[in-house]
Amino acid sequence: MRNFVGLRAIPEMEYHRPIALEQALKLLSELKEGCKIIAGGTDLVPAARRGRMSSSGHIHIIDISSIKDLDYIIKEDDMIRIGAVTKLSEVGASTVVKEHVPILAEAASQTGSLQVRNLGTIGGNLCNASPAADTAPPLLALDARVNIRGIDKQRLVPLKEFFTGPGETILAPGEILAEVQIPITEPTAGSCFIKLGRRNAFTLSIVSVATLVKVKDGIFDDVRIALGAVAPTPIRASKAEKYLTGKKVSEQVIDDGAKVVTSEVKPISDVRASARYRKDMSYIVTKRALTMCFNGSQVTSFAGKG
Amino acid sequence: MKVPIKTKVNGKLYEQEVEARSTLLDILRDELKIKSVHRGCEDGECGACTVLLNGKPVCSCLVLAAQVDGAEITTVEGLLKGDELHPLMLAFIENHAVQCGYCTPGVIMTAYYLLNNLADFTDEDLRRGIEGNLCRCTGYIHIIKAIKAAKKCKDSGNWW
Amino acid sequence: MEERERRLVSGKGFYVDDIELPNMAHCIFVGSPYAHARIKSVDVSRALRLNGVLAIITGKEVAKLMDPLPATSNYEAIGWHWRTPKVYPLAVDKVRFQGEPVAAIIAEHPYIALDAADLIDIEYELLPPVSDVNEAMQPGSPLVYEEWEDNMQVHLEFNFGDIDAAFKEADRILRVSWHEGRVSGFPIEARGCVASYDRITGMLNMWSSTQAPFLGRQYISSALRLPTNKVRIVVADVGGAFGNKLNWWKDTVVGLGSIVTGRPVKWVESKRELFLTGSHNRDVTWEGEVAVKNDGSILGVKAKFVKDLGVEGTNRGSAAMGIIPACCSVPNAYRLFKGLKIEACGVVTNKSPYCAYRGYGKDKGIKFMERIMQIVSRELNIEPEQIRLGNFIQPHQFPYKQISGYVYDSGDYPAVLKKALKLGKVDLWREKQRQARKQGKYIGVGVAFMVEPAGVAAPHCIYGGLTQARVRITSDGLVEVENDQTEIGQGSTITRTKVVANILGAKIDDIEVKRDSSDMPGSGVYSSRGAVYPTGALIRAARELRVRMIKFAGHFLNEEPAHIDITDGVFHSTKDPTKRMSLKELADCAYFRPGPRGLPHDMQVKHEILLDVSASWFSPNTAQNPTSTYATYCSGADIAVVEVDVETGAVSILKYAHVHDAGTLLDKDVVEGQIFGGIVQGIGEALSEELVYTRSGELLNNSYTDYVMPTAQDSPDIVMGHIETPSPFTELGQKGIGEAPVITSKAAIINAIEDALSPFNIRVPESPATRERIRRWILESQEG
Repeated sequence: MRNFVGLRAIPEMEYHRPIALEQALKLLSELKEGCKIIAGGTDLVPAARRGRMSSSGHIHIIDISSIKDLDYIIKEDDMIRIGAVTKLSEVGASTVVKEHVPILAEAASQTGSLQVRNLGTIGGNLCNASPAADTAPPLLALDARVNIRGIDKQRLVPLKEFFTGPGETILAPGEILAEVQIPITEPTAGSCFIKLGRRNAFTLSIVSVATLVKVKDGIFDDVRIALGAVAPTPIRASKAEKYLTGKKVSEQVIDDGAKVVTSEVKPISDVRASARYRKDMSYIVTKRALTMCFNGSQVTSFAGKG
Repeated sequence: MKVPIKTKVNGKLYEQEVEARSTLLDILRDELKIKSVHRGCEDGECGACTVLLNGKPVCSCLVLAAQVDGAEITTVEGLLKGDELHPLMLAFIENHAVQCGYCTPGVIMTAYYLLNNLADFTDEDLRRGIEGNLCRCTGYIHIIKAIKAAKKCKDSGNWW
Repeated sequence: MEERERRLVSGKGFYVDDIELPNMAHCIFVGSPYAHARIKSVDVSRALRLNGVLAIITGKEVAKLMDPLPATSNYEAIGWHWRTPKVYPLAVDKVRFQGEPVAAIIAEHPYIALDAADLIDIEYELLPPVSDVNEAMQPGSPLVYEEWEDNMQVHLEFNFGDIDAAFKEADRILRVSWHEGRVSGFPIEARGCVASYDRITGMLNMWSSTQAPFLGRQYISSALRLPTNKVRIVVADVGGAFGNKLNWWKDTVVGLGSIVTGRPVKWVESKRELFLTGSHNRDVTWEGEVAVKNDGSILGVKAKFVKDLGVEGTNRGSAAMGIIPACCSVPNAYRLFKGLKIEACGVVTNKSPYCAYRGYGKDKGIKFMERIMQIVSRELNIEPEQIRLGNFIQPHQFPYKQISGYVYDSGDYPAVLKKALKLGKVDLWREKQRQARKQGKYIGVGVAFMVEPAGVAAPHCIYGGLTQARVRITSDGLVEVENDQTEIGQGSTITRTKVVANILGAKIDDIEVKRDSSDMPGSGVYSSRGAVYPTGALIRAARELRVRMIKFAGHFLNEEPAHIDITDGVFHSTKDPTKRMSLKELADCAYFRPGPRGLPHDMQVKHEILLDVSASWFSPNTAQNPTSTYATYCSGADIAVVEVDVETGAVSILKYAHVHDAGTLLDKDVVEGQIFGGIVQGIGEALSEELVYTRSGELLNNSYTDYVMPTAQDSPDIVMGHIETPSPFTELGQKGIGEAPVITSKAAIINAIEDALSPFNIRVPESPATRERIRRWILESQEG
């Protein structure tokens, strides 16, 4: 075990600041070893100070935060495209996002604090691949895709295939997550994002859930449930979704559907919560989120206040 | 590795070479000698190091110094008019919102941003707005009171 | 006035981290990743080779160059079971808690020192750790100190009154158990100091973020084998303290670092280091029985009190001593006690050192009693305020000697509680509670009351009641003020300014409170003593100075002193308005023109020629009643209304009211600021704050990320009321209040949660009542 030191110094490193995506990709392919991409820095810098950035070998920091062509929110006919280095505060405040995908705006606004959201980016929130990343559940529920760029290639991947484990994604060396694409769903759908932490504000999620529901003639037509912090990666609760689809909407059905979620989550116990509580809360918050999809308002913020 | 950066801090232009591993907090305190920016948790959790980066509050402990090339940075020192305290600072003093003072410059920068960017607000909005600034002395009550008093200064034109 | 605040809002603070001296080096501590291990070897050679590393100090050096850390209290001599360990600030042969410093690196830059940290090679032989206090008490448990036969550092029995009679007369005997989680103050600025040793004069000058520079000097000079007059500590601006800055064990190493290198050395503790290496507090368990009558009269309490001291409770901090007020505070505001018997165990474990945190010890007894009140209220089905009103010491009974020996100075407890009930609109909320239950919502009303012993003077320890103040008029007519009421953010600068200005009749802007330092003998601020001891000394000094000023002014104005008054810094005759002189003019007369030769003859004869007075103060209460360790006893009542979301366990605070009797208020804003802050700290303790150790002694949450403190969004609006019952024992009738609010707020919130959950018949067994725990208690109550 390493000696204990309160905070560590950030290791010596070489700093690169490409101003175009192509330039960044070129740097990555040339430098190969030891490259770390930084955007907002809100995860990387504290991790480095906790000694979680290896100092063996040369470290190259590729700062993509000033790449203008990765900083945008654009609405197209059936899709919203968000550049990877768009700040979470901008995602949360965007009228386009608020109007068409309010659960994403809500989740972005509940990530960290004002000071953190002004640095943190949507791409960083996803690439850091924390199981508790707050923007992941709404994006999963919205069937978002990510555009991954390599030096001479790109691939468009559904977000649900992006995460492979805590802190792990399908990104290969030399690749950059360039854009998040969010299909706009029909406005008839109700949606909701709920986050439960250990206090009312500025808190890591114990469980977060995003739901999106379309109903036709009193029957669940399209149900999407995504959860964070209750499995090695943010997940879609497909069994619960399947259970609900085609059923007549009722309190009982919602409750039963939410219970199915507990068979899909695989939470861990840590200092923030036990696996049992996380599992239990997956049910409770899913039930609430589904219920709120019928309450008229598109989004309800919830941070433990009854 | 040294990285050359140009910044405008509190209205003054600086050209300097910074260590790639320095944070914005490091260079503000150690090189520019701007001591209002406090080392708190250096984890992005307490807000004691809050500064305005291009007009928006951020934790300066989370930003690499090299990243702020070309940026404009404001700290409480930048709100002074010579020796004259900003009305927001006076509101903090008058409302007993300064106790140990360690969180204070950070809270003031967040509050300054909120006051300049929210046309109107409730107590709840303010509490939400300063959620990233931990204070262990005041229980936040006098801070909220001070920000509300400062709003009156702003509305009456006593502001810059 | 408010010069300090003007500095602090504008970036002109003088915190330790702001200090830069020429040629200054930086110190960091390197600690053990293990909670319990023998050190087999420490090899610093690789680290020393790193460019910029100046020196590395290890346990081997400190054992050679230093004396062991002095004990802050020791009652072995009077026959108590009281052990003190031989410990150094750097581990010598074994480490006893995770993070325990093994080496200190001094380097040109903090980052270089940190780079070197990984280059120190330490070989450990792991020992079985004991982090659970119950395990530590078992025979055969691993020993934290192998020289002791068990882990019981302190074992005391408190037996007041006639416990058998109390239990014999009781109608009912109720069992009560209550555990408080391990927490601490964790101010936003951690500890730190700068040490600068002057090899020519042999003087070690230090700037420190501390609450008690005089005690710090004593401690540091003792460990470094220096005469106290070769150590001087100046207090920098202090970024919050709350008891956490009442220890100096690491400072000794920083001092040594400066002596060894001949360079000024700065150490600024990181927050993670503060979390891991302490100091911590609470972590106590009460198991007891209460004897009650059917009308709610509390006749007696029998209990076992176990306190998890971490590595030790006497040398790195003062944990063990806190056991005494914890047990003696149990009877709180209640008069019908016939007996109180407590077995108290201070147990060492492989956890961080334990020291003061707001409340220190008294808080624990009071919270236990307020939990008892809640339980009695429920069991007897009598409203919690009625139980208290029936047991209260009555206003005509003061001074009141409590069964534990404390002599309560004054108070009107029924009035305080009734005012709080009114401000908290308790009747209205109880009605809302009834309505809400019908809709499946769980609202609870919590009541808590406390009598806070404030201002300690205990024998055989460093907290003996030392204080000194000095007030003088400078030669240009300004007022310099100095005492041991260290400014730590509680507002002592403003308070001192106002107190002195009022007494002297000087202009408030002419008063300068000098930077706190070890020059003033006095034990600093803790135990809510600032408003009691140092202020008492200050008032006495200022009053004496005023007499002298008036006498001098009368002399120069050719007027009887009885007819001289001073307002706004101007002396004037009450008989002849033309006779006036300013303080500045008086100072000039007294110092130079004519100077001492022109002063009143009797003052020359008495050698009282200077406008400079020093004074001390000692509690008349404690002097007259040796069992009354504290000088004053403020009181307070809290009403918390909460709603519990029974599905998630989340608690929302719907209403919060607090009423306080701190005697004569010295400064309302300062008092209210402290109370607001304390209430929110208590709320944090009640709901979310807790240091969590694994069984192997690893601290799982060593940052603000996972040690969950209240943000602005977690803090309620608070309605506050004051009642002023002057203390007969202090100079202005003032009472200490600093620690009070953190005590009752925690108890009120816990009691409110229990009240909200009464349909589930849940007794809240421990704090914090986290969301997860509340949910678990509900599920368990439903299961069985």
